[in-house]
This record gives sequence, C-alpha cells and structure tokens, in this order.
Amino acid sequence: MTFKPVPATVAAVSDSFVPDGVIATSVEAVVNWGRRNSLWPFPFGTACCGIEFMGVVSSVFDISRFGAELVRFSPRQADLLIIAGTITYKQAPVLRRIYDQMCEPKWVISAGACATSGGFYDCYCTVPGIDEIIPVDIYIAGCPPRPEAFLEGLVQLQNKIAREHLKEQKAVGA
Amino acid sequence: MSTAAGKGISGEGDVRSWKREPIKPGKSDDQLQALAAERFGLARDAKDRWNLTMTLAAGQAKAKLHEVVRVLRDDPELRFDMLLDLAAIDYLSYPNHRGPRFAVVYLFKSLVFRHRFKLKVEVEEDDAELPSIHDLYRIADWSEREVFDQMGVVFSGHPNLKRILNHHEFIGHPLRKDYPCQKRQKLSINDPMVDQLESRLKHFGYQVVDSGEVHLGAPIAAKHQSVAEQGSVDTQKQKNAAGAVGAGGI
Amino acid sequence: MRVLTPEGDHLDFMTLNMGPSHPATHGTLRIFCALDGETMKAAVCEMGYLHRGFEKMVEQGTYSMVLPYTDRLNYCSAMINNIGFCKAVEKMFNVTVPERCITLRVVLIELSRIIDHLVCSCTNLVDLGALTNFWYFFNTREEVYKIWEKLCGQRLTNTVTRIGGMYRDAYPGFEDDVRKVLVKIEAAVAEVRGLIEHNKIFIDRTKDVCVVSAEEAISYGWTGPCLRASGVDRDLRKDEPYYGYETYQFDTVVGETGDTFDRIMIRLYEMLESVSIVRQALDRLKPGPVNAPDARLSLPDRDRVYHDMEALINSFKLIYEGVRPPPGECYDAIEAANGELGFHITSDGGTNPYRIKVRPPCFTQYAAFGPMCEGEMIADAAATLGSINIIAGELDR
Ligand code: SF4
Repeated sequence: MTFKPVPATVAAVSDSFVPDGVIATSVEAVVNWGRRNSLWPFPFGTACCGIEFMGVVSSVFDISRFGAELVRFSPRQADLLIIAGTITYKQAPVLRRIYDQMCEPKWVISAGACATSGGFYDCYCTVPGIDEIIPVDIYIAGCPPRPEAFLEGLVQLQNKIAREHLKEQKAVGA
Repeated sequence: MSTAAGKGISGEGDVRSWKREPIKPGKSDDQLQALAAERFGLARDAKDRWNLTMTLAAGQAKAKLHEVVRVLRDDPELRFDMLLDLAAIDYLSYPNHRGPRFAVVYLFKSLVFRHRFKLKVEVEEDDAELPSIHDLYRIADWSEREVFDQMGVVFSGHPNLKRILNHHEFIGHPLRKDYPCQKRQKLSINDPMVDQLESRLKHFGYQVVDSGEVHLGAPIAAKHQSVAEQGSVDTQKQKNAAGAVGAGGI
Repeated sequence: MRVLTPEGDHLDFMTLNMGPSHPATHGTLRIFCALDGETMKAAVCEMGYLHRGFEKMVEQGTYSMVLPYTDRLNYCSAMINNIGFCKAVEKMFNVTVPERCITLRVVLIELSRIIDHLVCSCTNLVDLGALTNFWYFFNTREEVYKIWEKLCGQRLTNTVTRIGGMYRDAYPGFEDDVRKVLVKIEAAVAEVRGLIEHNKIFIDRTKDVCVVSAEEAISYGWTGPCLRASGVDRDLRKDEPYYGYETYQFDTVVGETGDTFDRIMIRLYEMLESVSIVRQALDRLKPGPVNAPDARLSLPDRDRVYHDMEALINSFKLIYEGVRPPPGECYDAIEAANGELGFHITSDGGTNPYRIKVRPPCFTQYAAFGPMCEGEMIADAAATLGSINIIAGELDR
C-alpha cells in the first residue's frame, strides 16, 4: 500500500466568504477522524494476553480514553479485531471466519508474541503468526504486552487510519 | 477459629455430610505395596523412588486392569475414590530401558484415607490397547481420550474414543518420541460434533429423526491460499509445513 | 434437529453452537447443545482450542527452561504454577529450600490464589451482568500487580521461582506493600459481597443452578474450591500439608449444595482465609538466604565465581545444562487456585525432562460441564461456566 501526502486533518478557513463557526475540510479527513476515534474492538482473546487486555479495559488503564472501549463480541458490530493470545491450528478456521464476518472497513491488531509469531510455542499445533491466516495492521510485542504497549499499538493504528484514502480499497485477504 | 472443621458458607454448623470429617490416616507405602503384591500380584516399580508405583505387566493388563481398579476403588480399606490423572509415557529413547515401549500411569487418591497409589500399566507397541475404565470413574472418559490422542493407546470399550486436544484431521500422536516437535498439521474445518450430540440425545432416550444442518462456514484451505498469493505471508514457510504434513493434512 | 421422544412425540430441537469465540467461553471452549426452548436437552463440550503443546515443548529444553512455560498454564496465578513445578523437582533432589524461601513462597501462593479468585469471580459476575464488581476487583488486582512488578519486573507471567529457591529475594518494603494491599483486598471483597450476597437477582440466577453432588464431583475427579462447594472438605493444604501449612491458622470453606452460588461464594470467602494466611506468613518472615545451598541447584555467589575456578565451572554448567534430577518418575502436587495441580515428571538423568505430565485441575471440571448443564437454561450455562473457572492455558496445555 502506498500513502499519498496526508491532508491536514481539519483545516479552519479564516475567510471572509464563510460565516464564523464553519470549517472547510476534506471528506476523507472527517471520515478518518470519525473512524479512528471510535474503534469498536472485538477482543479475540484466547490466552494470557487476553487477560492482560482485560486489564487494559479496566479503569486503571482505561482504553476509553482512546475511544475504543465499546468492546463488542459480535464480529458484525466491530471494526477492530484484536487477537490476544496463541492461535492454534484448531482455532485457525474460527479466527478466519470471524475475520470474514466483520464488515469493511476493518483493522487487525496482533497483540503479543504468540499471535505475531507463535511466540515460544514452536510446536506441532501452533500457528507461527496469524498473518498466515489473516492480514494484520499492527503488531504489538511482548509476552504479554504491557497495557501501555496495547495503548501504544492502538495509537499507532489510529495514526495509520488517519492516513488512509477512501478511494483506495484496503487490501484484504478475501 | 478451629482448624479441624470447615466453615460453612451460611454461617457455622449445619454439617450435612460425612465428608466434612477430617481425612483419616491412610496406609503407608509399604503396607500398600504388600497389599497390592498379595492381592493382585503387582510388582513395585523401581523407577519411582519417591512414592509408590506398582506395575501391571503388559500381558496381564487386558484381563486384570478393570478388576484391579474396581477393587482399589471399592475396597473399604483402600477407597481410592478419585482418579486424578492418566500419564502416558513413551520409553522409546529412554536410556537402558527394557520392556514395553509405552506405559500408562493411573494416579489414584483417596478422599477418605490419606494415601495415594500409582498404577503403572505397561503397553506393548504392537498391541497398544487397554480396557477402558470409564464406567468406574467418570473422568476416565476424557482422560482416556487424551491418552489416545497424544500417545495413541487405544481403550477398548470406550464409548467415544475421539481426539480431544488435537483437531480431528490430525494424523499421528504428537507425544510419541518419534513425532517431530515442529511437524505442523493444518485444519480445514472444525468438527461439527453432531454425532456426539446425537449419541448424547440417544442416551436420554430420544431418537433422532433428522439431524438438520450445521453450518461451520467454508473450509479454510482455499482461503489460506488467497492470503498467501498476496504475498503477505511467508509462502515458503507455508509450503514447508504443507509438505511435511502430506496429503491428509490440508 | 427433529427427534422422537421416549413418549413417542415428535419434537423440534434447535442446535446451538456456543463458542469457541464467545464472551462466556473465554475464546477457547466450545459447547454444542440441543435446545428445547431455552432448556439445554443435551450438551457436548469440545476443548483443545488452546492446545499449544506444553508437554512436547518442555521436552526440548532444560528444566529451568520449563519454568516460563509453567507460567502460562494458569496465567491468572502464574506463581503457583512456578512454585508447584519447582517443588516437584526439589522433591526429586530431596532438597528443602531455606526457611525464608518457604515463607516467601507461601505469601506468593496465597496472594496469587487471591488474584486468581478475583479474576474468576469478577468475570463470572460480568457474565451475569454485574459489571460494577469488575471494576472493584480489577483495581485491587492491579495493586497486586504493582507488587509483582517490583518483585520481578513482570505483571502476568512472572517466572519468580528457580529450582532450589527464588529468582531473588523480596525488595525492601515488600512486607509493607503486601500489608497495604491486604487491606484493599478485604475492602474490595466486602464491597462485592455487599453488592451480591443478598441481591435477589443474583441469588435467583445462581441458587440451585447446575447442582453437582459430592459423589459426582468425586467421580469426576474435582478438586479445590469446586469440590469444596459440593460439600467435600478436602484441601491439600490441610490433608497433606507442605511448606508448613499445618502451622497456619485458617479454615477451609465448604459449600452445602454444590450450586453456582456456592462455587462463587466459596471463592470470595477463601480470599479472606488467604489474607489471614498471608498476614501470618509475613509475621514469620525472617531475613535469611532464599536459595538452597546446594551446588546441584543454585548458582554460586557472584563473588566466588570471579575468584574460584570450581564456582565458575559450577555456574557455567548450571546455566548451560541446568539441573539434572536423578533418573526416575515422581509425582508431586500442590493446592493451586483451582484445585490439585500435579506434575508427573519422568527424568532419564539428563539435562532435559524426559516427560512431564501436568495434572490440570480445570480438566476434570470442564469434563463435567456438559452433563452439568443438561436440563438447565442456556443462560445459566454461561454463569456456571464462569463459576468452575476454566483457564484454557491449563486445560489444553
Ligand atoms: S504472547 Fe505470551 S502472554 Fe501472550 S498469549 Fe503468548 S505466551 Fe501468553
């Protein structure tokens, strides 16, 4: 994917033609602004990282400061798939199906060593990285990642969404 | 506060069962050993130097195992009423090992007396079959499935000897020493489990007329391919994995 | 699914697949059931969605390299797993760890039991719709994690013990931190009890739901809080005491009916008992070494390593090869948060374990889950699944 120069998010126009309180901007900037600040995550938490994700949602780390607190357990209602935990070959068809059921636009965060690369389970039953099955936008390191790392990953994703173009179809593995 | 008796949730007292009694002293390992040797002709396993393990030889297992376990459970002096676990061991690469390749260790514990018992049953490689004890302990149903799945020991008389940890398309038994650790096997679609549900309904006296349809989505293999074509994955890695699995895996 | 009942009627059952990706099943358990209205007529369970080959992986490395894997068995109380495994290997060596190490381990075991119960209870209550309890308990849990971080630098997967001792001694001020947290734990438990104990909705949802009799529980091999909820007063800490548990004053908490209510409340009360054990252990904590003075297990002093050839070789060998337990087979168990956690270790005298079989407490509880909820409402199944506290890492290994 190539990125074109980023338009200013919201540009206020101090022009005498338009009355006060009216701003002019691109549709893209407004849509992306809305999308990135209201991500609805689907936590695909299978293992230890999932427990740590629960910590991120709880009040100490409070993911709602970033507008992503509305955790949905239906893929139809979510636009951010957070894979937190080891994915095994037995789980793989389920994960793929969940991803397929999510509506566009959708993004994927792979949290933790296991989801990213299989972690230290290099074994007959573990998928060595979920990018074998679905495309991934952001990888978070750690075993498990600290809650701060989760939030950093979320911010990175928001920055990425801000640079997206409406005309360009997201490359998805469908 | 007393340490002898437990505290009920809704206040003190209201002891409803004998099980609230503290555990009684049990037999020592030596006593258990003598008893097992005399009643069942079992020999002590030299490998266990810390607790008591008695061995049931491969030739006798089929005839005796069920009876031995039943006596262990029901004898008023033994009362091994809990089957903790089944641990299967593959001695293929154990140094200086003589005897059958596999062994299944039955771990018993009594809740009445303070004693434990380990029964090691030897299993020959070319006749890896033991009688099931699922009718004596309910947990044996799943424990035996696990041993079958991981080690390939078959339990005759088991109602539903399916894989439990690995997926249903898996070939081989991963905990055998000759199964390579990194030999991956992919799954195309999950087990619908309709057969299990039907047999459960039959158990309650229902007769299934039409099982209807269960949707689990399309198999994953074709989709794997399309992600791979986009170059977002290490296709070589995938090929290696696929090659190692062979025809049945994908 | 059309069925013919024993009375000869035709009925239409709906088949429903719950999980593995379902909020109540923690992403890894699958329940497939036949529904008559909202009643589950038959249910079968599937596991293995988190089977990541623990027992195969541990054969690839040394004994010390097993420790991080044990963290990820029951990741809600990783330290209990660490300690359970170390205790089993130490038993093979016939080594007793020093007094301070034992007392520290008791503190860590009980604190871990508390945070395990915290997570279990609050997620269970969330499954019932009682979200407030989640905030109360998770805030308290974060306080414990702050101590864990100071102690060993990790929150969840600590690897805090070593075979023959600890990773290192507790930091100065550890005891004060723990004492402060204990007060908060008591407050949180009191708050949650106030919210649920006499709450009509909660009682209606959980009383006499999915009752498990003592006989069934024993036949399924249940241990720990779930067994005690069914009225069986058995606890390894009392029955086969280790680490001096016989010298601590505490009660086992026993349920009466074995329903979901008992299983939830047992955990709340057990936390208070654990708090009392931790207080007693802290009173006994005396300065001293934390590692067994045994060259087969513990790394020698850094000072000696730099000046003494023997110590250098010893240190080198221990790091590269690790410990070598004598050949044989050994089973050792510990009362973990969920019940009896056992390790059946087979050693061939080499540096790598030949075979380690874990006896996970969850396995037995999940095996009973299908039969348990047959005849119950589907919504109660979700509540019950939380109350038997299935941790997939330990269940599937
Ligand atoms: S990355 Fe580590 S913490 Fe996360 S699921 Fe894997 S083993 Fe568990």
